[in-house]
Amino acid sequence: MTGSRDVIIAGGGRVGFETAALLADHGHDVTIIERDERIVDEIADEWVATVIEGDATDPGIIEQAGIERADVIAALTGETGLNLGVCLAASELSPEIRTVARIERATGQEYTRFVDAVVFPEHAGARVAADEIIGRDMQTLADVTSTLDIMLVRVTEGAPAAGKQLSKVRFPAGALVVSDDDGNRVARSDTTLTAGRRYVIAVEPEVADEVMNLMQG
Amino acid sequence: MDGSNRSPNAELGLLDATMIGMGAMIGAGIFVLTGLAAEIAGPAAILVFTLNGVVTAFTGLSYAELAASIPKSGGGYAFVREIFDDLPSFLMGWMLWFAYMIAGALYALGFAPNFLELLHVYGFVAPPDAVDALAIPVVDIALPVGFLLAFVAVLALVALNAVSTAASGSAETVFTIIKVGILVVFVGFGLASPMFSEAEFQPLFAEGAGPAAILPAMGLTFIAFEGYDLITTVTEEVENPRENIPKAIFLSLIATVIVYLAVVAVAVGTLGAQGLAEAGEAGIATAATEFMPTGLPIIQNGGALIVFGAVFSTLTALNAVVIASSRVAFSMGREGQLLPSFGQLHHRYGTPFVAILASAVVMLGSVALPTQSAGNMSSLFFLLSFIVVNVAVIRLRRERPNMNRPYEMPFYPAPPLIGIALNLLLTGVLVVYLVRTDPLALGLSAGWILLGGVAYFLLDRVRTPAEEGAETGIDMGPEAER
Repeated sequence: MTGSRDVIIAGGGRVGFETAALLADHGHDVTIIERDERIVDEIADEWVATVIEGDATDPGIIEQAGIERADVIAALTGETGLNLGVCLAASELSPEIRTVARIERATGQEYTRFVDAVVFPEHAGARVAADEIIGRDMQTLADVTSTLDIMLVRVTEGAPAAGKQLSKVRFPAGALVVSDDDGNRVARSDTTLTAGRRYVIAVEPEVADEVMNLMQG
Repeated sequence: MDGSNRSPNAELGLLDATMIGMGAMIGAGIFVLTGLAAEIAGPAAILVFTLNGVVTAFTGLSYAELAASIPKSGGGYAFVREIFDDLPSFLMGWMLWFAYMIAGALYALGFAPNFLELLHVYGFVAPPDAVDALAIPVVDIALPVGFLLAFVAVLALVALNAVSTAASGSAETVFTIIKVGILVVFVGFGLASPMFSEAEFQPLFAEGAGPAAILPAMGLTFIAFEGYDLITTVTEEVENPRENIPKAIFLSLIATVIVYLAVVAVAVGTLGAQGLAEAGEAGIATAATEFMPTGLPIIQNGGALIVFGAVFSTLTALNAVVIASSRVAFSMGREGQLLPSFGQLHHRYGTPFVAILASAVVMLGSVALPTQSAGNMSSLFFLLSFIVVNVAVIRLRRERPNMNRPYEMPFYPAPPLIGIALNLLLTGVLVVYLVRTDPLALGLSAGWILLGGVAYFLLDRVRTPAEEGAETGIDMGPEAER
């Protein structure tokens, strides 16, 4: 199977939109649900996802977003209650779907009883901000520069690059394999990309989907 | 998703997008098919191209609406995949893939006689009809030279695209300007030539056939208007796509109809429908050598410029459909509708290697077909795919009324309904025509669809156990991001 997922994102605000753009860059198939007409127009201009205009708690709207084919739904509006409601409704409509809800407080971990995962973007943002404030030379493994992404990527069985030596794989310009398997050594030309192992990759957004294709099929 | 993304700054403007569409349409269709259309319809070939432009404009509206609201670069297949279930979307991809592959064969077959004509103009070989076969001493059989040339052309472009992504760059604008420029020269000299002033467009319709002959000729030449599907395969690279893609579709369509009209009028006016029909795939080139000035510096014969245009156009169009067909197969692989290997980039070359090779096999096999059969089959499959695209617009409007549509077609639902009706009519006429004249093409077409059905159910078998494995694979998602 390919590594590409069919993702629904409820809420096209800053968090929802950035997430959608990131996923689309990586070659995933994204649909956004957004009720504010003004934001819908803004998203449409950016050309990253199909947009359904409407209220994400409305089952009819969730269905229009293609719930029956989606692998994941992420409710990323600013309201925890609304996000949980969307995830629960989605699970009801499509029991197999993976659900991700954005929460507002650090204590929200207990919500994982209802959803598969929770995200607390403010905390992640705070970590990056703290790193910047302290100004250490080393940064967390996250969005460290303006556009460059540093990612930990697991090589999938059967992917084009799986089992190949690094020197035998031609990554597009703008991509660099940084670490050896599971991050013990810096990658060398004789490093083998083993299926199931994880590698630190530095990649420019434009070629991220190609890199994901090579490493995850 | 594919090689063209390697140059991240290649932002295409409205002009570039329009040129991509025009480049695909004004490519080979006009050079290869004018003679064949004249053979069927007589001087009414002029009407044939105009009416096809009108028919296809309705589907153009559907493409514009879909392309503006579904931000994907997969062309018609991507849109249909968005709204239809597995089987119909598979069949759509399967048909569109075939349409492009056969179009590749058609362009290769159009390239060969024009290339021979070019060599002939400079005296390297005998006139095209005198070069019939090339004896191969080793295997002791004689192969037609045209077939060999077509075969080699496909092989070369497939090899180029399989190991390098350079050929899919945005040189298309320059190519198209060269092609259109050459045609403008052709029209200019043609209108000025004494042959045109005594042009004979009467009787308008071919003898014995009457106006009814227009319909099969439209069916055959429909492929000359497939270009806007290509525009929608590069939407991601176009700046402000929600405005520029619909505009590019209409602009390229209008410009193409005007160019076709002028070129066919001049060709019929100078060479006459009869002469055009006899020249077949090299119709425009033959017409040009009749009236272009001779004794020019360097190129000697002015007609050579037009012949060069034909060779150049057929080759660039062939290149475009090699890329387009592999893109369709690649997308289908990505969606799990063909074997996953179709959707993977080659680890060394960064190209959709398997998709290109698979497309190559069908293309190479198809150059053995007569040109007319290739045109018929390709047109048939484009007609069928365009019907599905029109249905997709209606279905999306009904099932997803709240979907954001930056471009909404006027007078909905009339355009897609008219589009479906007209495309169905042409399909029907083409099928009836094929039953009478070209059962081989019809049989192969039916065979391809049957093969698709078999492939679909076999893949379904293969996929069902694999799917379960993939489910557990999803759990690694958050881990990989973290």
